[in-house]
Amino acid sequence: MKFLRKIFDNAHNKLNANEKTKKLFPLVDAFDTLMFTPNHVTNKGSHVRDAIDLKRTMMLVIIALVPCLLFGIYNTGYQYYRILPGLEPTFWEIVIKGAWVVLPLVIVSYSSGLFVEFIFAIRNGHSVQEGFLVSGMLIPLIMPADVPLWMVAIATIFAVVIGKEVFGGTGMNILNVALTARAFLFFAHPTKMSGNEVWVTGFSDIKGQEYASLGSNLDGAVDASSGATALGDLASTLSVSTNDPIALGVTESFASDGAFSLMNAFLGFVPGSVGETSALMCLIGAALLLWTGIASWRIIFSFFVGGFVMASILNAVGGSVYFELPALHQLMLGGFMFGMVFMATDPVTASHTNTGKFIYGFLGGFLGILIRMVNPAYPEGVMLAILIANVFAPLIDHMVIQSNIKRRLKRLKTA
Amino acid sequence: MDLVNIFIRSAFVDNMIFAFFFGMCSYLAVSKTVKTAVGLGFAVIFVLTVTIPINYLIENYVLKEGALTWMGEEYASVNLNYLTYIMFIAVIASTVQLVEMIVEKISPALYGALGIFLPLIAVNCAILGGALFMQEKQFATIGQATVYGLGSGVGWFIAVVLIAAIRERIRYANIPGPLRGVGMAFLITGLMGLAFLGFMGFEI
Repeated sequence: MKFLRKIFDNAHNKLNANEKTKKLFPLVDAFDTLMFTPNHVTNKGSHVRDAIDLKRTMMLVIIALVPCLLFGIYNTGYQYYRILPGLEPTFWEIVIKGAWVVLPLVIVSYSSGLFVEFIFAIRNGHSVQEGFLVSGMLIPLIMPADVPLWMVAIATIFAVVIGKEVFGGTGMNILNVALTARAFLFFAHPTKMSGNEVWVTGFSDIKGQEYASLGSNLDGAVDASSGATALGDLASTLSVSTNDPIALGVTESFASDGAFSLMNAFLGFVPGSVGETSALMCLIGAALLLWTGIASWRIIFSFFVGGFVMASILNAVGGSVYFELPALHQLMLGGFMFGMVFMATDPVTASHTNTGKFIYGFLGGFLGILIRMVNPAYPEGVMLAILIANVFAPLIDHMVIQSNIKRRLKRLKTA
Repeated sequence: MDLVNIFIRSAFVDNMIFAFFFGMCSYLAVSKTVKTAVGLGFAVIFVLTVTIPINYLIENYVLKEGALTWMGEEYASVNLNYLTYIMFIAVIASTVQLVEMIVEKISPALYGALGIFLPLIAVNCAILGGALFMQEKQFATIGQATVYGLGSGVGWFIAVVLIAAIRERIRYANIPGPLRGVGMAFLITGLMGLAFLGFMGFEI
């Protein structure tokens, strides 16, 4: 460690010696404060500084994301070999295939986002803000495995500049940065962000080759629906009656031995965005975040309740395979758990008051399931619902504070 | 069910602000604090809910081709469509006058805070836009037109109150100089529109 400290001290001294290079100070400072807790001390007054500063908080969130990332890598490889018939890959082959797809996403997201952050830091003359550390990890985890890398770069830059830096940087944004990136891509390049062919890496290539080799006889070809997500399959049943062949097929895949059984959906061996498929890994992350006190249990709890209530209401309405899927099963699918644990709890964009957090979480979960199930065009409704909840958060806070003021004024008057 | 769908569509999906960017001038001007935003929002809801059914009646019994048939068979070929704008504006302006008097009487403080923007509702494009959309959509009953007006007003109300709360929150944010004020309000509106795209295609 001393060796590292020396390198940083040396770099600081060299930069400060020259007027021109002084501007580059944030560059070195960013890595310095990432490695070492800054030794700022308060000179006046009796402030207590916690050892957990913003960078340490961010690192804890990233650690909580590691299970999701590792599982995402494995699942990406697993899905790739699942649609290739007749191959028996070993564990390491699966992991290497997954890493080959997922790690570039992570690298592109971090490098493009940090590049923008550095430019803004040098321009504004302050040290690099740490908010992007988490966003940079979240963005690849909510992308489909096959999204082109340049799209990831553009979406990241858009989200960091328009979603965050114009507001003055970390802690000031109103929309979750990672979700802004995803929503931007979702509406700008829908063909790469939704449908049946983007969720399994190499799917369209494999399908193309299969079709070419089989010629007109398509019996042994990759089934087009094997690349669909559980939610995509469910949405396709909305327009047909419950005893239609399509609906029956979907019902089968959601039975206890089907591809989207409750167990598979919980463990995450289903197609989907890279890191969001496994509810179990999200729950491990949630445990760490709750234990360290970083995520708000109020938001997680009320988000879950909101989703459960909405799913139960639609259960009661019934009428299609989708609506009749048990509520708990419904919540294990898609990005619901991931959004609940890592997106909705973002302390910047969520409501700040305690009562507000309950309302905010409930609204997010409720709308998430509603959009997902009622609007077949957006099976990934949870992500959009969290953005909508973000927009409502300041108003919820305002209402909570105003009602507090009113209540206390009343108490004052009667006393 | 039909009425519920019309309401949801006009309030969330075809939101006056986020889908059409109508009524931006007063939206930007009064959204600095939640209190004034709520006041003007209610005024817009009221004006839309009153003017659209009135305009609906005028459209169907005076302006449309053959609308004057109730006066007698010889009027069946009369088409007064070219009077649309003038008639609609006249209805809107008189309703706004009414609202202005009510607000002044009930809450002089709000009247002062809203200032010139209260009479300017008369030329708020959300109101005339609502009337013209009503004409285009060819609603079957006056009930549907009323619900459409109410929904559009509620949509505008939600948008203006939301942005007011957001602008109150970012009041102390370190926004780059040139973007402060209106520039930032435009950017926020765009981002809110992005979030509200989630409602697109929504139907119960």
